[in-house]
Amino acid sequence: MNSALILLIGLALLILLLLVWVLRDPRKHASPDSGLDSAEELGQRHVNYFPQVRQALAAEDLVFLSSRGTTQLVRRMRKERRKIALDYLSCLRADFLRLWRLARVIASMSPQVGAAEELARLRLGLTFSLHYELIRLKFVLGFAPLPELGSLSDAVSRLSIRLETAMNNLGERAALAARLASSLDDGHGLDTP
Amino acid sequence: MSRFPLPVLWLWAFSALTQLFVLALLFLKGNFRKLPYFTFYIALNICQAGFLVFVYTHAWSNPSTSDTLAWTSECITLVIQALATTEILEITLRPYQGIWGLGWRALTVTSGTVVLLVVVAARGHWAWARWFELDRGYHLTFATALIACLLLVRYYSIPVPFVYKMLLGGFCFFSCSEIIVNTLLQAYFKEDFFVHRAAWQLLTMSCFIVTLTVWAVALRRALPVDDRKPASPSDADYQRLSPEINEDLRRLNEKLLRLWKLEGREQ
Repeated sequence: MNSALILLIGLALLILLLLVWVLRDPRKHASPDSGLDSAEELGQRHVNYFPQVRQALAAEDLVFLSSRGTTQLVRRMRKERRKIALDYLSCLRADFLRLWRLARVIASMSPQVGAAEELARLRLGLTFSLHYELIRLKFVLGFAPLPELGSLSDAVSRLSIRLETAMNNLGERAALAARLASSLDDGHGLDTP
Repeated sequence: MSRFPLPVLWLWAFSALTQLFVLALLFLKGNFRKLPYFTFYIALNICQAGFLVFVYTHAWSNPSTSDTLAWTSECITLVIQALATTEILEITLRPYQGIWGLGWRALTVTSGTVVLLVVVAARGHWAWARWFELDRGYHLTFATALIACLLLVRYYSIPVPFVYKMLLGGFCFFSCSEIIVNTLLQAYFKEDFFVHRAAWQLLTMSCFIVTLTVWAVALRRALPVDDRKPASPSDADYQRLSPEINEDLRRLNEKLLRLWKLEGREQ
């Protein structure tokens, strides 16, 4: 069998695998923190807890304990701090993904969508995931880049506020459109699929 | 018909019966009103089966006439298959005009790319089987375009009713199975074309029966009423927000990247 035929079979199998993945019900397989189901979630972002996390990871405590010479306690504290940082980073990612999904919702509700913009966002999402994995690996290896994590949190917060305002606007418009559609239905009996 | 072994003939009859059952379901549940092209596609398949019985039982002066007629009828069916699929996709994406517009562009790009790949891959020496290569090329283009659309639907979290998922999934499964069957048979039976043809009939018809069964299960109830909200009447929000969001996301990425680069110095 030549390489072109192998490529064709491989492509067909890949399409079948993608088909199975696409046809799964996304609600059944979604992770609990990836949804946009409750309005409360929008108001309670993980980035809001950054000051507490920063306090928990402050270098002064470690310096103090090191000066007292309690090595075992310092090691334990480092380990716990790393765990806190990792948890926080994964929550930050959940925030990013939620906002990224919100941006897609805005696109899906728009009557015109720019292919270039959408492709750029897709690429950004993929690079974010890649960077996230690299940084997570660094945390696992024992680093704690706090100042940069802070600016990252700020950026997510800004984006979140802007998107929430936009979603509220869109929600009002959609409600208006639905009201218009229902009043048209009552009057003229428009056939909907 | 004697040119085909008995199992192929049995399968043919069973396939025709299953198609009749699906067609009956479409009419009994009133789904033919919402899916006219799909109904036409099923009806055309039944007509094609009848036509093929005539073609293969008739004594033609030129032996290749029956094959040419059979494949010509297949070409017509495939065109209607593409229309039926577009109809279902259009129903699925109707409330999302922007995504539907994007979907069309994605379809054009992916189809064009795959057609190019097919042309490159079909440069073989298997001249006798050019019909099979054309058939495979069509199914490859079709399956790729369809999966591109389904990925787009998934990416934008557009809710798709179960019945439409099953119909589209059936089309995609059938096309993929055609690609695999055509390719495997081309590789292993190129010495004996007549054995190949019987095996091809047997395998593709089995896959088609599986597809028909999935459709019958999906169509056992009337199609759901679409209560999805329509797209926003204005795209001003998108035009304003989309570049801003992308810029913010880009900034986030840059910050993350800087984190990676500056790590050593932080400590």
